[in-house]
Amino acid sequence: MSRELLPIATPPRVRAVVGELLSAHKGRAVAAFGVMLVATAIGTAVAPLLGHIVDTVKAGQDALLIPVIWLVVVAVSQGLTTVLGTGMIARLGETMLATLRERFVSRALTLPLEKVEKAGSGDLTSRVSNDVTAVADVVRRALPELARASLTIVLTLAGMAVLDWRFALAALLAAPIQFHTVRWYLRHAPPLYAAHRESVGAQQQQLLDTVGGAHTVRAFRLADAHVARVQERSNAAVALALKGVRIVTQFFGRLNLAEFVGLSAVLVTGFILVNNNAVTIGVASAAAVYFHNLFTPINIALSLVDDAQSAAASMARIVGVADLPATPLPDKKPVTDALVKAASLGHAYVDGHPVLTDVDLQVAPGERIALVGASGAGKTTLVKLIAGIHKPSTGTISVGGADLQPGAVALVSQEVHVFAGTLAEDLRLANPDATDEHLRAALELVGWDAVDLDTVVGDGGHRLTVAQSQKLALARLVLADPAIAILDEATAEAGSAGARELEVAADAALSGRTALVVAHRLTQAASADRIVVLDNGRVVESGTHNELLALDGRYATLWSAWSGSR
Amino acid sequence: MTSGGSVLRRAITGQRRDVVAASVLAAGHQGGEALVPVVIGLTIDQAVSGGSVSALLRWIAVLGAVFIMLSFSWRFSTRCGERAMERAAHEIRTKLTERVLDPRGGAETKHLPGALVNIATSDAKRVGAINGVIAYAVAALVGLVVSAIALLNMSIWLGLLVLLGTPPLLVLGHLIGRPLERRSDEEQDRAAHASGVAADLIAGLRVLKGIGAERAAIERYRQTSQDSLGATIRAARARAWHDGALLSLTGIFIAIVALVGGKLAVSGDISIGDLVAAVALSLFLQTPFALFSYANGQFAQSRASAQRVAEVLDAEPAVSGGAGKVAEFSGQVRMSGVRHGTLKDLRLDVAPGELVGVVATDPASATDMLACLGRDIDPAEGVVELDGHNLSTLDIEHARSAILVAAHDAVLFEGTLLENVTAAARGPVDRAMVAASANEVASTLPDGADSEISERGRSLSGGQRQRVALARALAADPPVLVIHDPTTAVDSVTEARIAKDLKEIRNGRTTVALTTSPALLAETDRVVLVHDGVVVAEGTHTELVDSNEVYRGTVLS
Repeated sequence: MSRELLPIATPPRVRAVVGELLSAHKGRAVAAFGVMLVATAIGTAVAPLLGHIVDTVKAGQDALLIPVIWLVVVAVSQGLTTVLGTGMIARLGETMLATLRERFVSRALTLPLEKVEKAGSGDLTSRVSNDVTAVADVVRRALPELARASLTIVLTLAGMAVLDWRFALAALLAAPIQFHTVRWYLRHAPPLYAAHRESVGAQQQQLLDTVGGAHTVRAFRLADAHVARVQERSNAAVALALKGVRIVTQFFGRLNLAEFVGLSAVLVTGFILVNNNAVTIGVASAAAVYFHNLFTPINIALSLVDDAQSAAASMARIVGVADLPATPLPDKKPVTDALVKAASLGHAYVDGHPVLTDVDLQVAPGERIALVGASGAGKTTLVKLIAGIHKPSTGTISVGGADLQPGAVALVSQEVHVFAGTLAEDLRLANPDATDEHLRAALELVGWDAVDLDTVVGDGGHRLTVAQSQKLALARLVLADPAIAILDEATAEAGSAGARELEVAADAALSGRTALVVAHRLTQAASADRIVVLDNGRVVESGTHNELLALDGRYATLWSAWSGSR
Repeated sequence: MTSGGSVLRRAITGQRRDVVAASVLAAGHQGGEALVPVVIGLTIDQAVSGGSVSALLRWIAVLGAVFIMLSFSWRFSTRCGERAMERAAHEIRTKLTERVLDPRGGAETKHLPGALVNIATSDAKRVGAINGVIAYAVAALVGLVVSAIALLNMSIWLGLLVLLGTPPLLVLGHLIGRPLERRSDEEQDRAAHASGVAADLIAGLRVLKGIGAERAAIERYRQTSQDSLGATIRAARARAWHDGALLSLTGIFIAIVALVGGKLAVSGDISIGDLVAAVALSLFLQTPFALFSYANGQFAQSRASAQRVAEVLDAEPAVSGGAGKVAEFSGQVRMSGVRHGTLKDLRLDVAPGELVGVVATDPASATDMLACLGRDIDPAEGVVELDGHNLSTLDIEHARSAILVAAHDAVLFEGTLLENVTAAARGPVDRAMVAASANEVASTLPDGADSEISERGRSLSGGQRQRVALARALAADPPVLVIHDPTTAVDSVTEARIAKDLKEIRNGRTTVALTTSPALLAETDRVVLVHDGVVVAEGTHTELVDSNEVYRGTVLS
């Protein structure tokens, strides 16, 4: 199977989606921006007021109280409007973000599994964890700061122009340096940061590998090699971090130059204008104060450029999935006739390398069939076809005489996942309407009694044993209550003692259903209604336990080795 | 005895050259930043209002010099500081790894692997950050002193007003902000929950699809997301109040400084340039004070993290090390009177070269036996002997080279399949690969045995993983091999073949198989049944199947 990553949206498409989201909240966006504008505009009154005080002092007058009261009024109203404005911006950004992430998750959860598997499970996982978080972080932290800083910059420049247009012109002398600095930074920093993030990920991975496997490392006396591996990854991450620091320090060093050029220009302009009696000394002071106050917002705005870039990259990966055509979810209508019929099934993941050839299989309603065979014999592929995850290359599958519909057959696979939250929440995914009694009954059925449904399980909660996790999966199956169910290696990893317990649980969970079980332990096969032995993608034997023993073929050989009856 | 304090001290002294350089340079930077408003004021006084071009050029040159100093100081201070932080964290990471992997064990008893990794990443980083804290604190102090000198030089009263007024201002802002911020943190936690839930649902995608739970999952996520939306908006509002309050307070403070400074300027006590500089300095002074409070918070974090690091470094070893070495082992194993966990007075004798199956009716007894044989613990009573030597008197690594315990949950490591198998190989790798059927696993992978194995073998199925792990144990070719449930996830066809090959490849070497798999037990020379912590029966698999009800119940049910 060749890897085929999920789509990534083009930059114009990302802009269009942001535009759509904005226009959905047009009123709120305009209001938020307006309030922020007012808040920032009020703030720009500080420098001229200070300039006025300077002129008053220069003139030797003592009328300072009025401008000072104005300063207080400005401070209080700027504070209040800022509270209002940042609150509104946050609400706007968060609402857009929520809409986007909900759309993303609902698409991601309805993607055909085949597509997800082709992309590799890491693709979707990293989009949902890293990219959504990256965008949320920028919306939460950077967006309000950026909005405030850019408005401050624009309005301060406007304020300088109001004092005298030549001050604004002088201040703009810094702009070309800043522009070049940002361009230089964007060329060098993002790839380095990406490499650094990757190396930190690799270091984390190595630590998990080594620490998680510490017992194995000790048993095989591999400690020296593993310490060396950790050091190597850690050193690589440190080296890249320090490279990143060099870039950042150069970036701000160049911005310092811009500050110096701008400030000198403003001071020189003030000198010239004051000496030509074009402005008062108070106005010149106000211009200098204005520009000095610009240092921080400019640094903030420019250093956020990088965040904006990485957020855009993440957005492209989110929108790429959110934009995929919606696959309609199957309606959960009860299967009335649970007869499963597969005829001349064949399947190949890669052309010319068939995994299944000419398989005929019929499962009568209520019948339980055990699939036996070496790994690679095609058992998992066969159950995936019947569960509707892959489309067969050749042949047909029908349920109750009609074509197989997605969702008609339930599949509990080897992969166990415990959903984070309470046990009850986990179980209700299978049946949202189930009462606590239903949930308890389902757990009891699979041999898990006297459990507190409010126990927090999954990541960050109580750690369940492998056997418990698998019982949970079986309890979910009971609650979902499908007419046809498949268990693929669902009892494999619990160790032999746990496996037997799980077999009993599986037995209970499957009772009354048409079932296909991929069996590892032959005792599990022996108790099935019928056993189908697969070899090399073909059905080689089929019959009841006793029939197959009498046949004295492959199954009989296995059984004798198993039971020690030779 | 390792304490949090000594971890912190070592993090600093280990990088002392960089720490000193970073602090000195950071002081230069903050001092320079404090001088900028002063130079602006002097330029206005002596050049702009005086109209002297030479004075203007002189002050612009001074401004340039100040900028050069502050810019370069910051640049190199940051580089030295970050280097000190990163390197200190690296040292701690290395030490922690060494401690966790120490043959005597014990580091994992109190911490889960995830928590240990967190300590080696996040906490190591926070301890390293102490080096930055030092530089910040020095810088803040110098910024404060330079501003103070400048202000007091203009006017004692103005200087005192600004210097004494700023801390209450910040305290007030802090007091207003704290309850809001605390609420904001709580809300923020709930907000982070949404992304956690999404990742969790995606991780369980196959499970959801298997039982048709997509709709329920989407609905659950929508609710979480909306909940978290409410929480974030409340958090943002709380933060907005904090920011707004601080903005207003600062503005009012500037107004007061302007009033007092203006009065002083009118009466001629200070110049106009001084007035401008004082206003700009009262704005600037918030930086050093904010740096102090930031450094203070960081220091508390570094100290807490150092404590966590120390706890791991100082963990009690699970076993004490012996020193004994033996030239050659014949492979005789004896457990006598062993009492540990579920084991009560367990006796087991395995002759050199024997292949013995051990069936434990209680799975815990099997793990307890493994712990004693692998010297993960020393039994409370009784001895485990290897060729007549008490295991606890031998050097741990040396003992493990003679008796290898391949646990059921042994993990595979990052690297290729072949690298995993050869990692500890002393015997022929090819034969081990074939015997464990790992060559079959390799043949299904894109690059054969050279295929990369990711995330502790999660790219392989359970059965594939077990076969590779078994091949690794067989390739190590130890005088005594103890294997535990090596084929539970392997299909029955392959399991039967592995059992035959195992007997052959271990021919002449001692092997103990703790398992309930009939396919494996059928190939052993002898089976020992452990029930209720003691050995209750011995015999061949077939004999026990025929004669022992408990055995049949355990193995064949």
